[in-house]
Amino acid sequence: MKTVFTVLKKELTCQLRDKRTLKSMLISALAIPLLLFAVFKIESSFINKENNKQLNITFIGAHAEILKNEFTTKAFKIKKNHNLVSALDALHKDSLDAVIETNADYLKNIDSLKTSTINVYHKSESPIVFQKISQQIETLKATLLSKRLTQLNIDQKVLHPIAIKGIDLTSDQEKFGQLIGGFLPYIFIIICFLGCLYPSIDLITGEKEKGTVETLLSSPASRFHILLGKILCISLMGLTLATLSVTGIFIGIKFINEIPVEITEMLHQILSLKFLAMLFAMLVPLSLFFAGLLTALIVKAKTFKEAQSIATPVNMLVIFPAMMALLPGVELNWNTVFIPILNLALATKEIIAGTIQISHYFAILLSLIILALATLYYSYKQYNKESMVL
Amino acid sequence: MIHIQNVTKQYTLTKKQQKELQANTNSINAVNEVSIYCKPGRVFSLLGPNGAGKTTLLRMVATILKPTSGSILVNDKNTVKQAQGVQKSIGFLTGSTNLYDRLTPAETVSYFGQLHGMPKEQLKKRTHLLFDQLDIHKFSSKRISQLSTGMKQRVSIARSMIHDPDVVIFDEPTSGLDIVSANSIITLIKECKEAGKTIIFSSHIMSEVDLLCDDLAIINHGRIIYNDTMDSFRTQSTGQSLTEAFITTVNAN
Repeated sequence: MKTVFTVLKKELTCQLRDKRTLKSMLISALAIPLLLFAVFKIESSFINKENNKQLNITFIGAHAEILKNEFTTKAFKIKKNHNLVSALDALHKDSLDAVIETNADYLKNIDSLKTSTINVYHKSESPIVFQKISQQIETLKATLLSKRLTQLNIDQKVLHPIAIKGIDLTSDQEKFGQLIGGFLPYIFIIICFLGCLYPSIDLITGEKEKGTVETLLSSPASRFHILLGKILCISLMGLTLATLSVTGIFIGIKFINEIPVEITEMLHQILSLKFLAMLFAMLVPLSLFFAGLLTALIVKAKTFKEAQSIATPVNMLVIFPAMMALLPGVELNWNTVFIPILNLALATKEIIAGTIQISHYFAILLSLIILALATLYYSYKQYNKESMVL
Repeated sequence: MIHIQNVTKQYTLTKKQQKELQANTNSINAVNEVSIYCKPGRVFSLLGPNGAGKTTLLRMVATILKPTSGSILVNDKNTVKQAQGVQKSIGFLTGSTNLYDRLTPAETVSYFGQLHGMPKEQLKKRTHLLFDQLDIHKFSSKRISQLSTGMKQRVSIARSMIHDPDVVIFDEPTSGLDIVSANSIITLIKECKEAGKTIIFSSHIMSEVDLLCDDLAIINHGRIIYNDTMDSFRTQSTGQSLTEAFITTVNAN
């Protein structure tokens, strides 16, 4: 084992002195919180802007003046327009946000207790426009309905024979698990893989390309120990990057003011030692699995470019099951428990939600350990072939 | 000593390689029925044109490759069955200065010393001695990437000699080096010989061979076509330069 640690120490020294590796580690740690911050900031500023925006509207039709009275708030600026064609032209040119048209028999229909139609012309690229106008018309609708019921001497309750009241028993933690639970593993699985990718090429193919492998293999250190030292280093790099990205997500959520207080409070509850230990226990065999898999695949590559072309498509094999966990209806059960990567993503979701079954968790952990050992054995078989290492 | 007995190294060719080499079979013998004996305290030179099989043979001696048939004994230890014992007694130095750019000379030498299982104190003493001999102290803490080719070569020597091996394998050690750096290698080979070590070295620079070698083998297309002492070769090549004699021998086979 002393040799393994000698190799590991040397490889870690080399990796940490590599500017490219350090940059990728720093970017992974900072990218997620920065992206989260940017997304929330942009979204909230967009919503605020849309909410506070004064809408330019116009009314067309014989009874336009009656309807105008309902739109006297500051949220609307009423523009004059003579006909529908020129009004729609103005809407297309964005000088108007909406055109409200009433039919000729608008009043007649209302007075005779029939339905009157109001056409609202708008562009769906700004959903808030239709929403705001609808809200105003809904107020008018409610007033007219109330008048009609009074006129007909009917109680309002007659219109509502049944009231549906949904009582959601989902805990806040479960809701949070559904909200962030799918997204979180997707991020750290991909980052863990990417964290293993570059070091594996550097440590395995790099030795061949630089020609240092000959002297290494002529030393009395066994190939298994050399390989194990390298795989441990690759795995540690992936693990560190994944940990940094998860930390980044939580730090990001904590410091982004735009995130509702309920979510940040929930975060404090979730971030327990148990959660972190359970997540980390799965990340260790996952990073070892990635390290073993990548090593076995790229061991025959003679150049950095060749290794990249072999390893890059594997990315898809990692992304696909991680993405599946985001799909509705895909749940952790005895069928999904043994599907690598998907099982980890679903387990994380359930750990966050606090609904994980301990039998499922240990089955996943065991399957990941078996997978990591299998890839380690396979990579050793490959590394032991002389045609592969020279 | 190194005792190579009827060693053959066969490679399986891919279809692409078969096409490129215009080969009729799906395998090729890079080394074919080679037998040589290198004695302690003597320098054995392995000569041959590019692709003759020199590097393959030396890699087999260094345990990096396994012979398809035949056997290689290094200090009476079999390179396949007792690989670790062989690895402890050999030093392997190649022409291209293959070092880790992100380590310092001190770290590089220490790394290989540890891989050879050297105790800490012994490693420290040996490193100090080698750094003195090779004048490495002044740049021992600089990164390898910042060193000149000559400096790198000196570090390569220190790395190969850190465990004080009985058998030293040099694979075209001076190729691509300037005169000063090449001279440091020649000096090292002489010192190794004086210390009674077994030395095998491949080269195609006849002046080096003339200066250093006691025994000589010429290899071409994987086969040994000449194997005798350097003195015999000199005697045979009267009226010809050593380079001419080498070319004549290769062309005749």
